[in-house]
Amino acid sequence: MEMNNSTRRAFLSDMGMGFGSIALASMLSEDARAGEQIADKLTQIAPKAKSVIWLFMIGGTSHMESFDPKPMLNKYAGKTVEETPFKEVLNSPFLENERVVAFDPNNGFIRNELYPLQVGYKQRGESGLEISDWWPNVGDSADDLCLVRSMWTEDSNHGAQIQFHTGRHRIDGFFPTIGAWANYGLGSLNENLPSFVVMGTPLADCCGGKEAHRANYLGPQYDGVPLKIDPNDPLPYAKPPQGVFKEEQAGEFALLRELNQLTATQYPGDDAVRARMKSYELAFRMQTAVPDVVRFDGETEETQNLYGIKQKETKDFGQKMLTARRLVERGVRFVQVYHGNNGGAGSWDSHKNLKSSHTRLCKQVDQPIGALLKDLKQRGLLDETLVVWGSEFGRTPGSQLANGRDHHPFGFTIWMAGGGIKGGIAHGKTDEIGFHAVENRHYVTDLHATVLHQLGLDPRALAVPGRKRLEKDFGHVIEEVIA
Amino acid sequence: MIFHLSKVFVIVTLLPSFTYGEDVDYLRDIKPMFVEKCVSCHGPVKQEADLRLDAAKFITREEGLEPVALGGHPEKSLLIERVSASIDERMPPEGEGEALTPKQVKLLREWVRLGMPAPEDEEPLPTPDEHWAYQKIVRPNVPDTQDGTSTHSVDRFLAKQQSEQKLKAVDRANAETLLRRVYFDVIGLPPDIKQLEAFTENPSQEAYESVVSQLLDSPRYGERWGRHWMDVWRYSDWNGYKQAVRGSQRHIWHWRDWIIESLNEDKSYDRMIVEMLAGDEVAPLDPETLRATGFLARNFHNSNRNIWLDATVEHTAKAFLGMTINCARCHDHKFDPIAQQEYYTFRAIFEPHNVRTDRLPGQANVTKDGIARVFDKEPAVKTFLYRRGDEKHPDKENPLAADGIKILGIPFEVQPVDLPVEGFFPALSEKIEKEDIARLEAAEKKAAAAFGKFDLPQTSDITESLTEPPSPALPEKLSVEHQLAIVKYAAAKTNLSALRARYSADRAKFLPAEKKDQAKLNQFMKTAAKAERLANWSAARSTAFQKWQAFDSAKSSDEKNVGKKKAAIDKAQKEFVAARTETEKKRLELSKTDAKYKSVGPVHPKQSTGRRLALANWIVHRDNPLTARVAVNHIWLRHFGTPLVENVFDFGMRSPQPLHHDLLNWLASELIESGWSMKHIHRLILTSQTYQQASAAPVELLAHNNSIDPDNHHYWRANVQRLESESIRDSVLHVANQLDMTMSGPDIDFSEGENILRRSVYFRHAYEKQMLMMTIFDAASPNECYRRSPSIIPQQALALSNSQLSISAARSLAAEINVTHSEPQAFINQSFLTLLNRKPSNDELTACQQFLLTQAELLSKQNDLTKFEGNVKTEVEPAADPTLRACENLIHVLMNHNDFTSIR
Repeated sequence: MEMNNSTRRAFLSDMGMGFGSIALASMLSEDARAGEQIADKLTQIAPKAKSVIWLFMIGGTSHMESFDPKPMLNKYAGKTVEETPFKEVLNSPFLENERVVAFDPNNGFIRNELYPLQVGYKQRGESGLEISDWWPNVGDSADDLCLVRSMWTEDSNHGAQIQFHTGRHRIDGFFPTIGAWANYGLGSLNENLPSFVVMGTPLADCCGGKEAHRANYLGPQYDGVPLKIDPNDPLPYAKPPQGVFKEEQAGEFALLRELNQLTATQYPGDDAVRARMKSYELAFRMQTAVPDVVRFDGETEETQNLYGIKQKETKDFGQKMLTARRLVERGVRFVQVYHGNNGGAGSWDSHKNLKSSHTRLCKQVDQPIGALLKDLKQRGLLDETLVVWGSEFGRTPGSQLANGRDHHPFGFTIWMAGGGIKGGIAHGKTDEIGFHAVENRHYVTDLHATVLHQLGLDPRALAVPGRKRLEKDFGHVIEEVIA
Repeated sequence: MIFHLSKVFVIVTLLPSFTYGEDVDYLRDIKPMFVEKCVSCHGPVKQEADLRLDAAKFITREEGLEPVALGGHPEKSLLIERVSASIDERMPPEGEGEALTPKQVKLLREWVRLGMPAPEDEEPLPTPDEHWAYQKIVRPNVPDTQDGTSTHSVDRFLAKQQSEQKLKAVDRANAETLLRRVYFDVIGLPPDIKQLEAFTENPSQEAYESVVSQLLDSPRYGERWGRHWMDVWRYSDWNGYKQAVRGSQRHIWHWRDWIIESLNEDKSYDRMIVEMLAGDEVAPLDPETLRATGFLARNFHNSNRNIWLDATVEHTAKAFLGMTINCARCHDHKFDPIAQQEYYTFRAIFEPHNVRTDRLPGQANVTKDGIARVFDKEPAVKTFLYRRGDEKHPDKENPLAADGIKILGIPFEVQPVDLPVEGFFPALSEKIEKEDIARLEAAEKKAAAAFGKFDLPQTSDITESLTEPPSPALPEKLSVEHQLAIVKYAAAKTNLSALRARYSADRAKFLPAEKKDQAKLNQFMKTAAKAERLANWSAARSTAFQKWQAFDSAKSSDEKNVGKKKAAIDKAQKEFVAARTETEKKRLELSKTDAKYKSVGPVHPKQSTGRRLALANWIVHRDNPLTARVAVNHIWLRHFGTPLVENVFDFGMRSPQPLHHDLLNWLASELIESGWSMKHIHRLILTSQTYQQASAAPVELLAHNNSIDPDNHHYWRANVQRLESESIRDSVLHVANQLDMTMSGPDIDFSEGENILRRSVYFRHAYEKQMLMMTIFDAASPNECYRRSPSIIPQQALALSNSQLSISAARSLAAEINVTHSEPQAFINQSFLTLLNRKPSNDELTACQQFLLTQAELLSKQNDLTKFEGNVKTEVEPAADPTLRACENLIHVLMNHNDFTSIR
């Protein structure tokens, strides 16, 4: 049989994962020129980063007690906002950005009584960035950090989690995520590994679930592939069930290749056969390559200690960070790591007991993330790896339930490091009590645009016919932070 | 993406050039820009400022109107002025589209400067009145049979165009290929060897037609095509957080069963639409029919009624009408003649409706089972247009009445529906009454037995206490257990009496009677109220008694921790005091004499608005131009792999008249005139030669046809298709004789897909609750899937090669074949026939024979081999004998063969 060109190209572009759409299309397609043309269109910007490590704290990390300390909260602790010089925050037009879907009688309020900082902070590094004492290890790399302290989002409830990844409010539905776009636009540098890998338990169903690493209309080949830190079971169907011999399977694959080749010869026009053969070869190699990524035997004692994988609190996230490094080292494009799934809104969601919960959670992630930054740097990988840290929103300057803070979409912080981003800077500002982003305000897709730009992709060139992207979907590159 | 861009490239290079000047070309540069930026307001649908820009000739405008551009004089042209104006004056205005880029403005200026050259025969875009899909369906004449070609009507339509295009259709597929194709297509499973042999012996058209009939009559047909329609109708089991339902409804699987049954009995499509949209209005007492309203109940969304109704509007219109009404929620539709107000008049159809779960006989607990159905809960609720689609800004001045979409020109007639009593008051059904009374009778009997165990003299005041308000103090000489038995018995007995009395009152109140006797009704109600008060008091007293017991045992518990003990005592005491207070309250109420009692169940509105029935009738109206066309297009797509109308859910203005317009109309007429029989359409399609032709063809013919129609738009050959996820899993099990053919029933846990061997259609299918094997092979998204898009990814290879499902199936099939065909060549032949439905070629046979030898050799030295350290156990152990194990491996290879998941 003969397959027409459009079908063939559709098949080729459908062959995701191990190979990127365009890379593969131009490699296999007889009409390589078409693929190259598009590749040119997409990568007209010189890439500064090869890979992205995207760290997401589920539930809403307090920005004031992390990377945007606000001494005024201590000064006016216990006062209502109206009693302070900052009462105009309550009349700000920015409040209208909030889109409430379902009224939640417990959460999502502006909390009026200012709550003092629950932890101290210091200037760190040459740059003197002010960082809280809950983040000592990340603070060690202050001069590599670019804090963006002027983020805002729309959802005052945890739908903001999916919004952080797709750029669209939960009520608008599901859309391709930042990782999926990167995957779609770039493909992989390593044909033995998926190019978009996800670690950690994803968002709970409440807040978008696995849609936070899905490609939606781009197709399942661009979805993030969940990886478990278990060499015996790193991904679904990664290896045969008990009792199968490696040599036995290799024999089967050899026969399969031979038989499929006969079919391919019989039907020279059927590109699906070749695509399927290719997919089996990739699958076969992945069986070895993927478990190897999560096997740490080759890592020195020193490295393992750096990530804290021998301590109880830091073991879990330390392993993920070490794996993240190993993945980008191998050319994986986008590594997305979740922290803090608790089956619901997320562990970082500190409506009460903020001090004890943030102490505990920061302890789990600070050393591993700090280790990642140091390790990438010492290996010369930080230049080509963009590390992004974030959470769906910040927390209210005012107190909730005596010792917690409520959700806060009006101003919060994310940071980036490496990948051609300036280090040791704080971009944008919230007001003096950390309420509104007031200077260089950025909606979440500005972060997406910046990430894509560093990867060499023009966010506006990323589009699929028949799927309309809104102006807000594209975002604007944060030019000021690019080195 | 690649396809689309390169196609544009090709078109540009092939078109006759209308290039003027150096670098501006109307067709290449200007017209697409007008279409993208301007035509939604200045085009065939709307002509704001009396301007159209969908053809160059309109720029000079009609007499009396100033031209918007003056050839040769861009500086005097309003067109140039407005596209380059500052934000207030700019076209397109803010919010309607992005400004033209400087390059576009430059091109436009250059084009005007050159005198606006354009091809003379440029056709303007069609107006809505002219749009093909809005024209009534008129049965076209079937073209004459071409020389030497098929007399089948479907073929005659296609043959005419093929011959015009000088295309030659390829020959019929060989018997094996054809049989495999039609089996998978109709029932989602492959034929077995006997069926294959019978057909290869006699592959005549007659024999083929009898296979088609047989398959259409098989209950497997409903399962296979049920799944297709479940895609289109957005089937979803309930989803939620823990036990809270957030989307869809519990027990929606009853609707799935309804779909499968309806297809199997070839229920007419128009009736199916009526039942899905208004089953509660046409058959309010028939649970079988009520199941169908799962179509609407499925849209339930817990957090926001607007999301719920938006989905209802959007998908009702997309599924049945191929209309994107949803695009008119915030503003008038940009492309189609649908005003924003029409979105809301359409929404008004659904505004009163809501969901509820009706009890089924034998199950009083509706979280365990029941019929999830819709009903008009608020018949009087109003619908308002939301300005800019923003629910915060309803236009309260102008409530809107329910209506259809005007452009279709079908009358929308609403007739309210009076419901029978059990329709609005389901608890009053005899079955439920009997069941509930029986349950309380049993409880009473049990309590009486417990009470009867005590053989102390049963004083008269105790016996009286069971019917009359007893004195608060029970005789102290009785043991605690005896006292408890007494209060419990009293509670059970009074509860039963109260229910009986309430039923009597409700019956008197609601059941139609010759003439209402108000006095008698009052008496019934008073009796019910009194009985209920007594039951309430007895229940409260029984609770209080038990709380007192708990308090007592907390005091005497042997808890060592003083703090804990005190906390437990305090808690028990608090609860006891509260229960005692409640009992006293209920006791005081005993003196009341009013007639207020609680009905035996919820009472819903007696009348349904009839709006949904009006909608259903409007959709299935003979003159509705869309319904039948949309349906046959969906059916065609699933038979051929490509649709006649490319965008299956949008037949609006952006959907150009399809190439096979006449064929589409003819099939749509056939659907309607056959009494909306889907099986009739299947049969028409399946028996055509077009359906039966091969996908492969001799090289020369291929080269010739490909040079004219490489995309097979003219169906000169069959398309190679990949099996859907469900068919892949089902056929792995089916070939190994492991597939459990049990039909219907509750959705099976999605994580059990490799242990419970039912057909895939019966497994849970909801947001975050889908079988992994299904999603890997591109299963429908439960949220929306009008058309699946198959991919080829390595995860599929891993799933099929490493799942215990395929390995166990391979082992069990190998053992079975080996019993009758142990000789290698026979084994290989039999395996190919079973799995790929064809014999192996000589090369394949040689390769497989060689494999059996070397693999057996390999497996005979197991000490030299390395095992995978897998976690998963297989259902079937590998054979001990290396030769047989090699046979298992061979079967497993064939399950992973390209052609196992392909239809040629």
